[in-house]
Amino acid sequence: MPQQSISDAFLAHEGIALFEYRGGSAFRPVGKIPDWCSSIWGARNGKSLELAEKSLFLETFLGEAEEFWKFKAPGKVESGSWTEQDSEGREIPLEASAVWLKGKRVLQVRNLSETFAQQQQLFQTARDSLLAHEQLMREIQKKEILLHCIIHDLSQPLTSMRACFDLLLGKDLDPAVAKFVNTGRAESQRQERMIREVLGAFSADLAGEKNLGQGVSASTNLIASAQRAVEQFAPAFAARGVQLVLAPNADSEFGWRVIADATRLDRIFGNLLENALRYSPRGSTVTVRVEGDRKALTALVIDQGPGLAKDATHDQLFALFSKGKDRPGKAGLGLYFCKMTVERWGGEIGAENRAEGGSRFWFRLPRSQQVSDAQPGGSAANPVKAQSSSNTESRQAEKSLRIVVADDDATIRELAIELLRARGHSVTDAADGPAALTAFDRTGPDVMLLDQQMPGMDGLEVARVIRQREEQAGAAPTRIVGLSGNASAEDERRSRDAGMDVLLGKPFERNMLFRAVERALETVPASTPASIAEVAPQEENLRAHLLHMTGGNEKLMRKLVAGFLADLPAKLSAIRRAVSKKDADELAAAAHSLRGAIATFNAQKAVAATRNLETMGRTQHLENVPEEFRTLSDDLVRLKRDLRALYPDASSQAKRRGAS
Amino acid sequence: MLQKKVCMLGSFAVGKTSLVRRFVESIFDEKYHTTIGVKVDKKIVEVEGEKITLVLWDIHGEDVFQKLHMTYLRGMFGYLLVVDPTRRQTLDDALSLQERVQREMGSIPCIVILNKCDLAAEWEIDHDRISALETSQTTTRTSAKTGEGVDEAFLSLAKAMLDAPS
Repeated sequence: MPQQSISDAFLAHEGIALFEYRGGSAFRPVGKIPDWCSSIWGARNGKSLELAEKSLFLETFLGEAEEFWKFKAPGKVESGSWTEQDSEGREIPLEASAVWLKGKRVLQVRNLSETFAQQQQLFQTARDSLLAHEQLMREIQKKEILLHCIIHDLSQPLTSMRACFDLLLGKDLDPAVAKFVNTGRAESQRQERMIREVLGAFSADLAGEKNLGQGVSASTNLIASAQRAVEQFAPAFAARGVQLVLAPNADSEFGWRVIADATRLDRIFGNLLENALRYSPRGSTVTVRVEGDRKALTALVIDQGPGLAKDATHDQLFALFSKGKDRPGKAGLGLYFCKMTVERWGGEIGAENRAEGGSRFWFRLPRSQQVSDAQPGGSAANPVKAQSSSNTESRQAEKSLRIVVADDDATIRELAIELLRARGHSVTDAADGPAALTAFDRTGPDVMLLDQQMPGMDGLEVARVIRQREEQAGAAPTRIVGLSGNASAEDERRSRDAGMDVLLGKPFERNMLFRAVERALETVPASTPASIAEVAPQEENLRAHLLHMTGGNEKLMRKLVAGFLADLPAKLSAIRRAVSKKDADELAAAAHSLRGAIATFNAQKAVAATRNLETMGRTQHLENVPEEFRTLSDDLVRLKRDLRALYPDASSQAKRRGAS
Repeated sequence: MLQKKVCMLGSFAVGKTSLVRRFVESIFDEKYHTTIGVKVDKKIVEVEGEKITLVLWDIHGEDVFQKLHMTYLRGMFGYLLVVDPTRRQTLDDALSLQERVQREMGSIPCIVILNKCDLAAEWEIDHDRISALETSQTTTRTSAKTGEGVDEAFLSLAKAMLDAPS
């Protein structure tokens, strides 16, 4: 085979066409012209070709190639890939390079069809995957926002409710009133459980987000919403020593209705107030004001805090997951939600510093023209002042503990501090991770109460550092209680891994807090972490349960215990007698009677045993009665021991009562 | 007749190819076909009575797989910087690309295209940011799908190129 043919065969095999540059835009083919080259440009063997005129791409590349040839630079210059259409409309991917060969200016054009399809498929798949991933991330983020908003939304009133109930239970209440307060408190707990259950069941597939962004045509009273928010937040502000005032509005004839959904409007006020409280120093005042003109109404939340950071832009302030620098919120969703919602209602939102100090957050909504308000601003005529935080918890812990409470949420921190101090503990507070560590070093506490999410250093990291230090110093482990707004199994695992002893969900119930903290009175090795269930209401210790039951009324508690201990022998004897006589009806009646008494003391095993005994009696099936009776007796022995340990005097009262 | 090279720049999947196809062939394909390298097309437009051939360089979107060859931009008179506002990152990428182009090529007429305006409800770029962009740069909202704003964007760039000092 002639030499030329081998070269041609090789070039054809490689999909390469060679041209010698002749100046201008003319090129002369070198060797045999490949078919694809003829099909695209009409090139013919041996015939010079105005290639730069036939290809818009090569026209541009020629400038670069000429420069390369002109300077006789070593190597080659490459064009990058491009696509041309052949005579049948097929797209042919090509790549060109300019080289010097044997003193000739040569343009090499390579047909990439063979590798291109594979590369195209690879890139297509990769980019499709990237787009799908981005889309998925957006969907997840939407759901995350919704989930956070729900937690944020529903937990907020619960925190205030808890604070109110706890403050009330600290007072010397009439037993009848305490019963109502306890009912309210129990209901708030029930609501919290339900929220968690609902979130647990539906968090993976929340269907409601589509409704989140929809506008509303509802008409809502702006002043009434402001007042609800002020009333709701008054206890939280009181606990922080901050006065909360709803400024009176002189024009009572004015229509105060705006285009907004009432629930979300309440939440906007709530978020702005929560934000103001976070930054307000003790002794300062936060004022809520509502004003308006013919077209729109404006609500303002004015604080006397440090003001906005100089470099804080509107975008940053209201951005998703935006957090303040010094005392940030929990998830950076509050202000984002406000902006998102206000804008969807056709309004606007903003914030600025005041000349006299502090900041002013405002939002403006279009006035509703449809409905005039019968009592505009009527309820706003009297400023609502926050109640003083003079509550004291009368019941003291058995031993005063040194406790560090570290949480960047001022409301939660203040509430915990108030309750723990009233309980007789010595408390140091810290607003972030580094401050918590400083407090740990300075006070050598018995207990560290650490929020999982804090600025600077989160609670998990603080716990790890503490455990390291203890190990290095050979010191006894400090009890570390984690705090989390979303105490999931994953949170529990992370807290355990970080060295925490127990994780307490927020908002917490007073007795759960005491129980979690006061385990430090017992010997609980750090290596055996407790689960969330350790502080769950159903397993509260007896004292906490009784406190709960009686609203903290010691007298009532003693009376209950004494009465129970006095009556128990007789009730138990009645069952024993029925068992011994194998009298099914008597057994059912006696078990029923005892169950009512022991249910008060949260003795779950004993309650279950009496229920079973009653059922056995009613159904005349007595085969398993001895075994059930033993279970009942055992648990009652424990209950009696616990009650006597708690109230030795109640025990002696019972004896006297039993004797009389 | 005047001939001006125009480059389509922007991240992948923002709709550069679709805009060119809509402008040149008046067609739109829902399916995303990734571009590798460059596709060159042209269309004659008339601006203020003057006919111009726009040579449209539809350049692949930049990502981890393909970096932009600055050599593709050689001889460019103007460019359309395409953003997909349903993907926030594409604006950041576009502005960063614009900086590189200005560094390499100096100040060249540019129109920022906010594409996919038929999906305005799904835009995730903040309203204020878009307003700021529209104030500071020549910006056009387009939809390759419906054709909205597409011709205007190319004609606006053609005029800017004519008006630009040569």
